[in-house]
Amino acid sequence: MSIENLNVSNSYLSFKLENETFAVTVERVHEILEIPTVTKVPKSPDFMTGVINLRGNVLPVIDTRIKFGLAKTDFTIDSCIIVLSIMMENEQITIGALVDSVQEVLELSSEKILPSPALGSKYKAEFIQGMIKNDEHFIMVLNIDEVFSINELHQMKENTSETII
Amino acid sequence: MDRFKAVFFEEATTLINELERVSLLLHNNPSDSSIIEQIFRIMHTLKGNSTMFGFYRIGDFTHHFETLYDFIREDKMSVTDNVLNITFASVDHLRVLLTDVELENSVHKINHENLIRGLIEVLNGASVEGSIKTHSSDHKIEDKVSDTPTYWLKFVPEKDLVRKGTNVLFLLDDLSQLGVTYTVSNIERLPDFKKLDPADIYIHWEIYVSGNITENSIRDVFMFVEEDCELEIRKISETNLLDQDGFSTIARDISLSIDEKISKFSGLVNNSSSKNRMEEVRSKIEKANEKSIVTSKDNSISSIRVASEKLDELMSLVSELVTTQARLNLVSDQIASSELISISENIEKITRQLRDNTFSICLIPIENLLVRFQRLVRDLSTQLNKDVVFVSEGTDTELDKNIIENLADPLMHIFRNSLDHGIESGEERVKKGKPAQGKILLKAFYSGNNVIIQIRDDGKGIDPEVIRQKAISKGLITADQNLDRRQIFDLIFLPGFSTAEKVTEVSGRGVGMDVVKRQITEIRGEVEVESVINEGTTINIKLPLTLSIIDGMLVKINATHFVIPLGNVDKCFEAKHEEFVDKINDLIILDGEQVPFIYLRDEFDIKENCPQLHQVVVVKQDDRRVALSVDTIIGEYQAVLKPLGRLYKNVDVISGATILGNGEVALVVDPNRIIKEYIFNQINNEVLQ
Repeated sequence: MSIENLNVSNSYLSFKLENETFAVTVERVHEILEIPTVTKVPKSPDFMTGVINLRGNVLPVIDTRIKFGLAKTDFTIDSCIIVLSIMMENEQITIGALVDSVQEVLELSSEKILPSPALGSKYKAEFIQGMIKNDEHFIMVLNIDEVFSINELHQMKENTSETII
Repeated sequence: MDRFKAVFFEEATTLINELERVSLLLHNNPSDSSIIEQIFRIMHTLKGNSTMFGFYRIGDFTHHFETLYDFIREDKMSVTDNVLNITFASVDHLRVLLTDVELENSVHKINHENLIRGLIEVLNGASVEGSIKTHSSDHKIEDKVSDTPTYWLKFVPEKDLVRKGTNVLFLLDDLSQLGVTYTVSNIERLPDFKKLDPADIYIHWEIYVSGNITENSIRDVFMFVEEDCELEIRKISETNLLDQDGFSTIARDISLSIDEKISKFSGLVNNSSSKNRMEEVRSKIEKANEKSIVTSKDNSISSIRVASEKLDELMSLVSELVTTQARLNLVSDQIASSELISISENIEKITRQLRDNTFSICLIPIENLLVRFQRLVRDLSTQLNKDVVFVSEGTDTELDKNIIENLADPLMHIFRNSLDHGIESGEERVKKGKPAQGKILLKAFYSGNNVIIQIRDDGKGIDPEVIRQKAISKGLITADQNLDRRQIFDLIFLPGFSTAEKVTEVSGRGVGMDVVKRQITEIRGEVEVESVINEGTTINIKLPLTLSIIDGMLVKINATHFVIPLGNVDKCFEAKHEEFVDKINDLIILDGEQVPFIYLRDEFDIKENCPQLHQVVVVKQDDRRVALSVDTIIGEYQAVLKPLGRLYKNVDVISGATILGNGEVALVVDPNRIIKEYIFNQINNEVLQ
């Protein structure tokens, strides 16, 4: 087995926000947590839910629903936090993404991932890495570096009412 | 092999830093021979190490350098400005050589060749100078020759002296304290082993002593045993015989009587030429120097070098221990077993000590930064053609190593500013009636939980009116805005504000005081300017002692825990909810005094579950007291600071987070920022209205 084969992962974790299914590459997923006590930080934008204690470290948690223009997350038994590592201004940081539920891990060959189609003005094309067709459903594979990038977050802060996707 | 190379690099870096430090000392005392000796030794070690590891370029370079300082220490040359310049340039170049070993960068290569050429030129000039100087230097050494008389003594203790309670060896030891001694033991009377009684003395001694002593001082040593021994003392020479070649051969020959020896010794003295003696004196001085270096080594063993990652690791482990300790406390309170509580209290005590200890390990004196500044002042003042002296005070003040690392850049910038814009040229200073030599002072001292660093120059100062006009022209303030003195000086720290009228090579490279402020804010410090026209400018930097653990007061608002640094807390009170709402001037009466308050529930936008009774924490900011309202005060808490991360970098009022015993996250507030932000918002609201 060559090193390249080892590095290329074709596994994706799918999760749900309301009725829409999204996916992120499992390479970037550290773990999935149940919702612990979240401490809200004053003077921070709405979509930043707060901080939690992840084994002695402080982990910022982002409400993905607000980020994607949906209503604030009401916690259910399925709600969870996906711990992701993202690249932000050339630095690797770890964040928690609050989602409604995680679905499954999909093993896919690379040809199953379709290029991101033109989605009209409703979506920002750079957020979508590609599409997966799974049992007649489409899953959007997110480019998480773009979705959670700091510029994006600050833009949100200045203009929280605007829908990003 | 790579590991050895890594050690070499580490050692070489230390040596080069040391070289720079010592060179600065030399700059101040060009004639101090011990400093020259040190430089020579550093170069020698560096040369040896680098050749051993195959870094021949460094070896070759240091070889020339070593020769230069060899000439100087042999008085063939003196320390001129030229020598100093070349020394400092070499220090810089050596650092370059460590990163670019093969001189792949052409600039480095040219620099390398130029420096070697320069060194050789200086050395060639020296050989002419040297021949003239040798003569006078010999005189200097001859002055130091002060010969001491030599005494001979024969000490034959009685056989049972030890039984009488005297340790004979102590006597010999005492004797050796008087001067240089040479002892010959006579074991003629030593019996056969079987007959030997270990408590008897069979040996006697012939001892030669040379020193600034008299016969009486020798007799004093034997004062208490005079009656139990045979003692003969004679002065055998006015000079120190012990240093003469062949002395020991004669002295060791026990078949000769002392009179025979004396006549032989006198032959020695006549034979030894004065030149020989000079050599001896020189070697003696060298030996003495070696000794002094040995002692300084002994001192350095009392401290060890540790990789900073290991310290960081230790610090984070201690932090975890502190967090776990908080948890233990919580559990032991719940279980309420007196035994468990006492264990928990004990562990808490130990944890606190361990924390303070680890904490102090991570503190290093500000002195570590000094060499850079001395260097900067020296280089810049030469470049700008200004005569500036650098003075420092309180450099043993200690700060967290992480803070020190981050402090270098902003301080450098402040120094550059002072030298470039602050301190005037010599003529200008004389015209103003000031001494021609400018002065720049770095002063550090403790102030409560903080360290204050002051950089003060005696230059032309900053005119507040000029700042005001400039700020108006840049649209930072309006012409009718009324600002007090401090507010005006604070304008300097706004982005895009530069007091420099012209951009010079030294400053104005796009880095302004706003960057200084940002860098200092990043290490949770504060910076302020005070200036008097024609008297000078002072920059005050207030820094926390450490970045990682603080003593704080744990409070709660609704469900969120907050930690207020204990250093800021003045007093705590209780107050009714009504006292905070619908107040026009935001004042509350505490202890019969009116104190301005900030209602944190409004400030932090927390609306739920408002209690009827509030707790009030009065914090001190500079000279004023401000009350902060919270729901409940929980108690004192050791907070291990964790950064909130980049996502929250815009949230100023919270300086970090900490993890509580139950695993929840508490937020550490920065009261100074809360107050500043509150005032700022108040002013903005007024403008809007």
